[in-house]
Amino acid sequence: MDMNSNKLVVSKVLILDDAVGHFDGLKAFCSDAGLLGIRPQQGDAGSVMGILRSNVDLGGIMLYENYGGPAGEGLALAREIHALRPELPIFLRRDAVASVAGLAERDAAMFRCAYTLQDLQHLRASLDASIFSRVYPNELVRGIAEMTRTSLESLFRGCEVDMETPYLVKDRIIHGEVFTMIAIESNWCRGYMMLQASESALLRLLGEDCEAREPMGFRELNNVLGEATNLIWGSFKNRYVGTTDKGLHGQTQVPIIINHHRNYISFGSEDPQLCFKYTLRPQGRGDVAVPVYQRFVFNLSWSPEAFHENPSVEALVESGELELF
Amino acid sequence: MAQVLVVDDSSTVRNEVCDFLKANGLTVSAAVDGRDGLDKLKADPGIKLVVSDVNMPNMDGLTMAEKIRGEQRNASVNIIMLTTENSPAMKERGKAAGVKGWIVKPFNGPAVVGSLKKLVG
Repeated sequence: MDMNSNKLVVSKVLILDDAVGHFDGLKAFCSDAGLLGIRPQQGDAGSVMGILRSNVDLGGIMLYENYGGPAGEGLALAREIHALRPELPIFLRRDAVASVAGLAERDAAMFRCAYTLQDLQHLRASLDASIFSRVYPNELVRGIAEMTRTSLESLFRGCEVDMETPYLVKDRIIHGEVFTMIAIESNWCRGYMMLQASESALLRLLGEDCEAREPMGFRELNNVLGEATNLIWGSFKNRYVGTTDKGLHGQTQVPIIINHHRNYISFGSEDPQLCFKYTLRPQGRGDVAVPVYQRFVFNLSWSPEAFHENPSVEALVESGELELF
Repeated sequence: MAQVLVVDDSSTVRNEVCDFLKANGLTVSAAVDGRDGLDKLKADPGIKLVVSDVNMPNMDGLTMAEKIRGEQRNASVNIIMLTTENSPAMKERGKAAGVKGWIVKPFNGPAVVGSLKKLVG
């Protein structure tokens, strides 16, 4: 399948290229490649890092080697970006050569590719390989949008639900403070769906703009988002998961709801969790103690009467039931 | 004494369904999962109808339905599933468990209230 024939999905790239006349050309190239090119209003490193620290979901960064000045400022900025967001691919535009030749090995490793304006096909291939490496069928993208809009409208009554063009991200940023997660499993996919939102904005919306059924606190908000997750998950399953598929149709799932603003996580069950606390203490460093908390949440099923311990490998070897090669 | 037991781990759905049924003249109690549903049903012999989600923590709705049907004293209790599930296999499992009806979420009270009232008797 031609990866770029998928016109329903785009990806945002941050273009850091201040050479006069080049930005428009690159923007047109991006448009043709299914990318949405954006650039900072101010080109200084502080502004760029400010964008990266905000919740702008990016697929990658196109950086000119002399961005910000000819004395290696572009390279210095690349180091900062790479340190903050190593998951974001950086595509380096160079003046002379379409390679990382001449850069220190450590610097060269930061870039997914180097290109010149005379060799944009090289850039295109690299963009396709790193940003559009996974094909999401148009029918799936359309269907997800449709079922999500229906689910949100049923829960946020009185609200209109608009949608931007779907996009691919390489960022791993969590938007807002509250998010839900639920497993999706079928014969053709396995993974998770998440909903992410700003707690305060949603609370305001539910309190003021929609036909709220009752006063909303953060727990009620968590539940609304959890139910939205459940509705979308159910629609996804009913539409895309075969009835004979293993996974979703055979197993119960409930949304996991996380609100990191409140240090809150819910697995749906009110049963007590089994918790262990460990402390890591470096030898000879009595002043350092790092706690690690381990919790077990058996929220979907718990039958302690059926608990048993498997025979140890040693015992199996001794009894001759297992032959190790 | 309640006539209807609403079982759903989502308080959003629980409250919506309970409020709607109460506004339509039914007495209602609620449970947060299948296990809680069994406890509430056992404690209230007046319950004639259970409206339950399928996917819930601790005990899912179909397992709860199977357990309800497994008790002779629950023979007159009707069970309706209110769920995002609509696969034939899941509905077959529901039928086998003695489930009387199946509603795919989101809940549309006005569309089903007449039928629910009939099931309460």
